[in-house]
Formats: sequence, structure tokens, C-alpha cells
Amino acid sequence: MTQQKLGLLFMAPVAAFLLIGFVSPILIVGWYSLMEPRSFDLNTVFTIANYRSAFSDGYGPPFFWSLSFAAVTTLTCLVLAWPTAKLLHRFAGRGAAVITALIAVPIFISESVRLFGMSLFLMPGGGILAGSMRALFDLSIGSVLNTKLAVYLGLVYVHFPFVLFPALLGVALIPQDRIDAARDLGASRWQVLREVELPLALPGLVIGALLTFVLCIGANAEAAILGGQTVTVLTRAVEQRFSYAQDWPMGAALTMLVIAMTAVFVFPALSRLDLNRLIRR
Amino acid sequence: MTRAWKYVGAIWLALVVVLLYLPILSVGLASLANTRYMRFPHRNWSIGAYTDALSQHETLVLHLTSLKVALLVTVLSVILATLGAMAFARYDWRGRSAFQKVVVLPIFFPQPVLGLALLLFFSALGFTPTWKTAVFAHMVWVLPIVTLVISIRLFGYDPAQEDAARDLGASRWQVLREVTLPYLSPGLISGGLFAFLLSWSNLPLSIFTTGADTTLPEWLFSRVATNYAPVVSAIAVIATLASVLLGCVVILILRLIDTHGIKGDGDHG
Repeated sequence: MTQQKLGLLFMAPVAAFLLIGFVSPILIVGWYSLMEPRSFDLNTVFTIANYRSAFSDGYGPPFFWSLSFAAVTTLTCLVLAWPTAKLLHRFAGRGAAVITALIAVPIFISESVRLFGMSLFLMPGGGILAGSMRALFDLSIGSVLNTKLAVYLGLVYVHFPFVLFPALLGVALIPQDRIDAARDLGASRWQVLREVELPLALPGLVIGALLTFVLCIGANAEAAILGGQTVTVLTRAVEQRFSYAQDWPMGAALTMLVIAMTAVFVFPALSRLDLNRLIRR
Repeated sequence: MTRAWKYVGAIWLALVVVLLYLPILSVGLASLANTRYMRFPHRNWSIGAYTDALSQHETLVLHLTSLKVALLVTVLSVILATLGAMAFARYDWRGRSAFQKVVVLPIFFPQPVLGLALLLFFSALGFTPTWKTAVFAHMVWVLPIVTLVISIRLFGYDPAQEDAARDLGASRWQVLREVTLPYLSPGLISGGLFAFLLSWSNLPLSIFTTGADTTLPEWLFSRVATNYAPVVSAIAVIATLASVLLGCVVILILRLIDTHGIKGDGDHG
């Protein structure tokens, strides 16, 4: 068999699965979003009423907060991941491998556990931090738990590894002799960073940033566990449409808007990346 | 790098690791007292929360539900992903780069939104959500990741080995069993580990797609958000240790394969 036939043959099961499990649910949501408000059936009487109320019914704040959290978290993670990736690359060896593994482990520990731990750590009074401060230094400190700051810290905490690992791939794309050459030609540290390192590492940084941004748009566990009632994030608002309000078409319309927003970021970035080059080393 | 910068770098890395583990450590510390309210440092350290957790039937049920889901996700994902990885990394065909980009789309998709969409999809089809629908939901997200993991291994594969085996008279089946699969096995094992651990720890998809069944992360989430009890910390620790233990065993197996080498392993040939 030719490579062409074999390729098509082997891609078929995965493609079929994703068509059923990924594409059709989105189509169903799209269909629901065009139904009469508060109906539960799918039919062919379409209306855009839900989209109209999505824009007029005060969903601005959840959209605003989720997008802001996503943007600030992505930026913070990039700023933290860059020096970490550079250091791990520079110290390459047994020690760095151990640290890299240690950073990877939390990815596989449930968000529930990690965010629960964070709330125990930050808890006022008898929390791990406040309690230790009191016992060790006789110091009573306040707590950021149940504030937007806590939600932000939780988002950065959960998503840092998602930026770090693509950033590591990116840093590995920078040939050391390019940096040396730029230095020899009199470039400053800042110029090397801006004109040599960042552009070369860009594919990795874009993947990390994109992943974090998209995941943060949908993130709701952080706000639920660390934010108390201070902020309603996007997926929480959408979920409430489905559960409390029992208005599926409205929930579906909001879901479609979130998906559209995600697509606006994902498609342009992915279409420019060459996955072959990045993964194969 | 100067000596001073080396120290600064080492301190930075240490700080990153410490901060990443502080919350996890906090759960462990909280679990070591059996009082109604959390007051750290504990006056009476005890493992009472663990004996309570182990004596509850619910603990077992939660672990079994998560285990069922994760095992099925692992087996099914590895099988499908192995096929997908062949198309992703092994064969050169028209449409490959489009396929590569489509496959990774579910990874770049907000998980709670995927969960909601799947819930609507199941109800439109008339399926009542149970742990089985959760298996399907997890796979939508896990399969692309496992495909990538196996593809990374497959990119280093030299197809000429297969031709050589064929020239020496091996059948198609023998080539697969004695050349291709042995080379791929580290990729399959790490892919399987990824699948298991990601399913075991998944919260956002399970919340929407398990129906009346409850997985561990889901149960923890509902208990964390409502009422604190030390037994919650204890179960969180048990669930986490179980997955860490599994991870260690699998990594050990991978090391063994790596050092002893296996037939057809191109890295050491």
C-alpha cells in the first residue's frame, strides 16, 4: 500500500472519534442555541433571540472577568516561565532533570486537590500560613482567600506548568552560537533577548500562552474554591443558565460565544505553527 | 554565568518547586489532625482522619469509580492513539499537516465548555450520563494528548528497519510484533500513563458527564466548596498517593526498558 493510503487508513479511527466526540457536540450546541428560549427540544424553527439577549442581558461582567483573568494569568506565567526555562536549559544535567520532573508532577494531581491545598494554605486564622506565622513569629496576618487576588494566584499556580513545558521546547530551539555571535557583535543582554532569543523561541511560547489563555477562559474551579462569591466567571455564568435557570438555548448561545472567542485565538496561532518541527527533535 | 548568578538561578528554581508543592503539602498537613475546625499548628496530631476515611464505604466506591473510568480511558485511548500516531508521524501523506492540527484542537479547548457541550450532546441522543459517558468525555481530551506522546516516539523511528525485516522474510504481523511495537513500547507506556493520570485527576469534564456517579476529583470539589472536614484531606492524600505510586512504578518500568534495551530499539542500536 502507498503511504497515502496507509495515512488515510490510520487516521480514520481517530478522525471518526473526534467527529463524533468533538465536532458533533459543538454542532448540537449550535443547534440548541437557535431554539426558542427555554425550550428543551431540537426542531427546525430557528431564532437568534438567544444571541440577542446574550448581548443585552448583562453577561458583560463574566466575559470581562474571564478574559482579564486569562490575559493577566498568561502574561504572568510567561514572565515566570521564561527565566525558569532558560535556567533549566542552562543547568542541563541530572539536577535539572529532577527539577523538571518535579514541576511536571503537579500537572497530574487533580485541580481539586491542588486548589483545596491552596485554600488550606491561605485560610485565615488556623490556615497553614497564618497558623505557622502565629506559632513561629507571633504574627497575625490577614488572608487573601475569597478575593479576586486569590483567584488570580490560583490560576497562575495551576497553569504555570502549561507554559513552562512549551517554553522549554522553545528555548531548546535557540542555538547557543547565535547568542554568542550576537554578544560578540556588541548586542546588549536586552537586545539579545528581544532580537535573538524571543523570536527563535516563539513557537514554544505561543503554544504555552495559547494553551493557558484558552484554559483560563474556561476555568471555573479556581473561582469556586478560592474566590468565594467575589466573582462570577464565564463558565459559571453559562452553567447557571443550564442548571438553575433551566434555559438550555440561552446557555447554548453563551457556550457558542465562548467557543467562537476561543477559535479567534486558536485558529490563527495554530495555522502558523509547524508542529512537525517543534515535536521532532 | 558568574558564580553569583548561578546561586540566584538555583534559588529561583528551588523557590519555584517549593511554591508548587506548598499547597499539596498543605493538604497533607491538614489531614494529620482530626478536629472539626482547622487550626494549624495542630494541638493533637493524629491519623484519625485516615482511619475514618478507610472505614467509610464511600472512599472505596469513589476510588473504584475513578479507577474504572481511568482504566477504560487508558486502554481505549492507547489503542486509538497508536493508529492515529502512525498517521501523525510515520506516514507521509497529503492532508497530514491538516490532520495534525485538527487532532490537537480538543487540547486547545476550554474543558468545562467541552463538558457542557458533551452533556447536551448526550441528552440530545437520549443517553443518561453515567461513568460510561464520562469515559467517552475524557477520551475526547485525552486521545489527542496520547496521540502526541506516541507521535514524539514515532518521529524517531526509522522505517527502514521494517523493510529490512521484510527482506529477511518476516511477515507483516511479525514485523509489527517484533520490530514496530517493541520500538514503540516506551511511547505506548508513557502514553498510557498520561491517559490514566489525566483521567484519574480530571475535574471539569467529570463534573458535567458522570451523571449520578461521582469520581474522586468531583467528590473532593463538592466537599471543598461546601463543608471542610479532615476526612476530605485524608481522601485527597490517599487518591494523590495512589496516582504518584502508579507514576513511580511506570517510570521505573520505563527506566528498566531503557537500560536493558529491547529488540529493535533504535536509540541504542
